Amino acid sequence: MIRTLYVIYGAAVMLGLGIAQYQGWSLATINEVKNVPRSVRDNPGSYRSVYSSYHHYTGGK
Amino acid sequence: MSAGAPPVKPQVKALNCPGCGAALTVRSFNNAVTIVCDSCHSILDAKDPNLQILQRFKVATGEDKPLIPIGTRGKIRGTDYEVIGFERRTILVDGIPYSWHEYVLFNPYKGFRYLTEYNGHWNDVSILKALPEVLPYASPPKVKYLGETYKHFQTARAETAFVLGEFPWQVRVGESAEVTDYVSPPRVLSSEQTGNEVTWSMGEYLSGKDVWRAFRLPASAPDPVGVYENQPSPLSAETRNIWVAFGAFLVVLVAMMIGFDVAARNEQVFTGYYKYNSNQRGEASFVTDVFEVKGHTSNLELTTSTDLNNRWIYLNYALINQDTGQAFDFGREVSYYHGYDSDGSWSEGSANDRVSVPKVPPGRYYLRVEPEGDPGYGMTYYTITVKRDVPQYSFYGIALGALLLPAILLTWRSLSFEHLRWAESDHPPIKLGGDE
Repeated sequence: MIRTLYVIYGAAVMLGLGIAQYQGWSLATINEVKNVPRSVRDNPGSYRSVYSSYHHYTGGK
Repeated sequence: MSAGAPPVKPQVKALNCPGCGAALTVRSFNNAVTIVCDSCHSILDAKDPNLQILQRFKVATGEDKPLIPIGTRGKIRGTDYEVIGFERRTILVDGIPYSWHEYVLFNPYKGFRYLTEYNGHWNDVSILKALPEVLPYASPPKVKYLGETYKHFQTARAETAFVLGEFPWQVRVGESAEVTDYVSPPRVLSSEQTGNEVTWSMGEYLSGKDVWRAFRLPASAPDPVGVYENQPSPLSAETRNIWVAFGAFLVVLVAMMIGFDVAARNEQVFTGYYKYNSNQRGEASFVTDVFEVKGHTSNLELTTSTDLNNRWIYLNYALINQDTGQAFDFGREVSYYHGYDSDGSWSEGSANDRVSVPKVPPGRYYLRVEPEGDPGYGMTYYTITVKRDVPQYSFYGIALGALLLPAILLTWRSLSFEHLRWAESDHPPIKLGGDE
């Protein structure tokens, strides 16, 4: 019984792994934006990234 | 006996106790050596025609009622047996008495067999006809019998505390024997030493439910308490099966890794060399040339290689599809610091960064890049490289962890069961307390 459940679970894990690899999933935080105007190409400064006000590292030891 | 004549039905022999006059029933014919009167508890010599009283014992701890009444018949391993005797035996461990019950079973053709019961755990016991081989130098001690190795569990002096019915030996209340158990679940080998005489027997674990079914007993068997010395672990077979399945999945995982590695395009679709002067004010953002991303929806891996040295740079990236306006917006901080202090040399971060952009459909893309850095840093040179359809090994690690987790949990539970088993032995896994 436990073995059957594990085989089903393992098969699901392998299927998920296959889909992740094929579709190119990533663990990175990426924000998807729709309908970016074509004018950005001519005026890059007109685009406002959601990450532009991100806190930046100022560190070192 | 002539052919066709009806078989003679065996009759029980009717006798009376010389102590109290109560009627006695002998079930094992001439095989009984001692009989216990269930009225006055006199132990009688069954071999003596006058039934000489060998011992009278007082029921000091109260009469023990057998769970399987004497005279009950049942089928054990396909053979009919009758319960003819019952005894309680007790051992002392650290001053604490532990008692179990033994039932003497008899079949006129097969002889004697025994059932033992402790806290709802049952064993089907038969006397060995050959001696087990004692393995020298084994620690803890081990014996081998019919190719199977048994590990020493416990040695204790067992005293007979209560008897009832018939016995094929000279039973006495108060007699004692040194009992040593060796286990290999679901079996146990026991040696009983009285003086110079050693008797070996083998027990096989039975559930109370099986015993109840075999003897067609009313109600249900008492629930077993704790883990018994030769109780088979319900998880050991499952644990083995899970690890076998895990091995199979591991093979599939490696095959997938090789397969996806071979099939991946891993194709460089863009590279550009740039510089950023943080001392300069004004708009720092720019866009790259358009590049073609081919193949099915997959990832894009973007690598930023810099010449940073005790500095940082932050890059706002937007991967924009020129035709659809779909964009993947993300920021990457690249920092690399190093130095030397009282602990020696140290370093932190890296001058290079890599990120995988997920599920990018094929199309024509460009990057919008906006670098940021602390004013005063001056010039930073960096290269941006974009690759299509790059295998992500982190997912294999996650899948491996997901497959391992249930196997480890089950193994842990199985080990806990063994821990409970051996905690009751002469060889506990962890010795609690100490000499005080």
